[in-house]
Amino acid sequence: MMDFWLERIYFGVCAAMAIAGAIGTVAFPNPIRGAMSLLFTIVAIAGMYLQLHAPFLAAIQLIVYAGAVVVLFLFVIMLIGPAATATRDARGLLARAIGGLAASAVSLQIILVLSRKVFARVPVAQGGFGSIESIGDLLFGEYLVPFEISSFLLMIAIVGAVAVARGKQPDPQLADEGETKAPKPTAEAHP
Amino acid sequence: MSLWFALSPLIVLTFGGLGLMMADAFSKTRSDLALGSFLTFTSAGLFALALWIMGGVPAAVMLKVAPYIVLDKFTLFFTATICLGGAISSLLAGGYLPEHDIDRGEFYALMILAAIGAVLLAAAGDFLSLFIGLETMSLGVYCMTGFRRTNPRSAEGALKYFLLGSFAAALMLYGGALIYGATGSTSIEGIRTALTSGEFGTLRDPSRLATVVIAMVLVLVGLAFKISAVPFHMWTPDAYQGAPTPATAFMSVVVKAAAVATMMRVLLVAFGDKASSSWSSGWPPVIAGMAVLTMLVANFIALRQENVKRMLAYSSIAHAGYLLVGMVAAWGQGNEIVAGEGRAALLFYMLQYTVTQAGAFGALILCGSKGKEAVTYEDLAGLGRRHPGAALPFALFIISLAGVPPTAGFFGKLYLFRAAVDGGFTWLAIIGLLNSALGAYYYLRVLVFLYMKEPAPGAAQATPMKSGYIYGALAIAAALVLYFGILPGKALEMAASAGKSLGAKIEVREVPTKMPDTATAALP
Repeated sequence: MMDFWLERIYFGVCAAMAIAGAIGTVAFPNPIRGAMSLLFTIVAIAGMYLQLHAPFLAAIQLIVYAGAVVVLFLFVIMLIGPAATATRDARGLLARAIGGLAASAVSLQIILVLSRKVFARVPVAQGGFGSIESIGDLLFGEYLVPFEISSFLLMIAIVGAVAVARGKQPDPQLADEGETKAPKPTAEAHP
Repeated sequence: MSLWFALSPLIVLTFGGLGLMMADAFSKTRSDLALGSFLTFTSAGLFALALWIMGGVPAAVMLKVAPYIVLDKFTLFFTATICLGGAISSLLAGGYLPEHDIDRGEFYALMILAAIGAVLLAAAGDFLSLFIGLETMSLGVYCMTGFRRTNPRSAEGALKYFLLGSFAAALMLYGGALIYGATGSTSIEGIRTALTSGEFGTLRDPSRLATVVIAMVLVLVGLAFKISAVPFHMWTPDAYQGAPTPATAFMSVVVKAAAVATMMRVLLVAFGDKASSSWSSGWPPVIAGMAVLTMLVANFIALRQENVKRMLAYSSIAHAGYLLVGMVAAWGQGNEIVAGEGRAALLFYMLQYTVTQAGAFGALILCGSKGKEAVTYEDLAGLGRRHPGAALPFALFIISLAGVPPTAGFFGKLYLFRAAVDGGFTWLAIIGLLNSALGAYYYLRVLVFLYMKEPAPGAAQATPMKSGYIYGALAIAAALVLYFGILPGKALEMAASAGKSLGAKIEVREVPTKMPDTATAALP
């Protein structure tokens, strides 16, 4: 009984942290606070992995996301200048309100459906589940094909980053189609 | 047949893309990357055709990479279509990029790698590989859109496309996770088995069925975004207008082909069970509604455009609407014969749309040169008299888009609407026909400006550019438009055979039920 409640409490704390962090990420106007909230979410999810008997995944989550990705974000924010905050923009308020309502309605429905016990039962994990060996086994056995094709994804991300970064080179043709003519009114851009 | 041969289209594309990148980086003289990528695409397409002629990939070979990559005839058909679109786009890039001073070699590598993503997406028989393919293709296309970063329009289009696209991909991933939760499987075949057999209690338990419906909706949003169906089309005009025109051609044909293939596989196979694909409780009314909305909205907005490239962008959205009509016909209310006809019509439409739309963007490129681009209708005025050689291909592709015989567009629409009527969707076919009439107005407006108007005195005039690559691309596209428009029989036969192979059972090996976490482990 005690274990049951401990588990519940642990999960509840992690989940609350993850949700609070996620809200903070999108709600803080200051980008540094946003990045720190993201860190909060990432650590909370690593905590959940631990509870699911996946210590290796939890460690990877911390090293890759908390250790590398968020730090990279912070670097970029510092380069741009930490004072860079989003300016208040009142355009499209009606569209945003409608969008917000529609999104909330859909989310509410998803929550309502998922709050019932809807998921297929899966067998209890075997011994050694979540260890480095078993993940390696799956990665290079059952999931070899998706593992291999994910290298295309990494490749194109690298090439794409280089391509876009090199685009900064002086481009003699700043003005081109559309720009050489009288600029169209912006109303046309948002039909 | 060895697995190497079965995967040859992908292998050729991979080595071609990487090799061209190396050639660009290390060769001292300027290498002809456009021709190289054209040859890469052509040979990959020919390998797919060779596999087709040899009777497709045997099941024993398919099983080695199934269910992640399904090498059925359906995949081969789409591989050939994607390679065709890629080949035309790379030739267009060979003419366009040097003319507009953005001739950097990464463009071709991005295009080929994105095409690999598209082929993987069309071949994906599992949500894992589907997502990887989708992201590979999307990342490449985002970068191609923002290739001219210093141009505000290009940057705006790329950023819009990237943000909305990531959001749509996230929704789709969430849908995939929910469907895994509800059925215990990520493979298309496994989901189908779970839903039809009711082994997981899907059919008996209404709340579990609700989970499946939500998952289906989320996956559908992701796919509808990629084919730019209304109401998920907001990014399309800006991205298409801002991107370099060869990238626009690539996006409008290759990305759409891959997304249509996935949509067919997911909706007709994974969600092809009785409950999910019924008119009362499944996806068909959603697709039909989206088709009507897409055709109407896109055609009405296209009427008001003054910018020809933007008009072509809306026309591409309108064609997504026609493709969705074909999707409903391919469901055919569960009737095998009608569904077979619908699938064939949809695949043929996709094939003819690929050559027509890529050709139309190519013709638009040809009509302008640096500083004297063809942007608005006014720029095209009198071009037919001044430069008949540039106006003629444009006219051909425009009448094919409008669906006038003897071009490919006519048979595409004919088969599509006939299949819809045979499937009992006469109303949908009538709406489609009325929309085609609406579309004819703005298409024919191009012809009016080309041949019947004279430019206003002192107004800017477009001057056609000269490039062997563009001539070559247009010659290939025009020949195919006329070929499909006069002798559509062979292509339609292939489309029918490809459609039939979709979802056919290949004995999928027994996969032990997996733990929930291992799925995420593959993508650290």
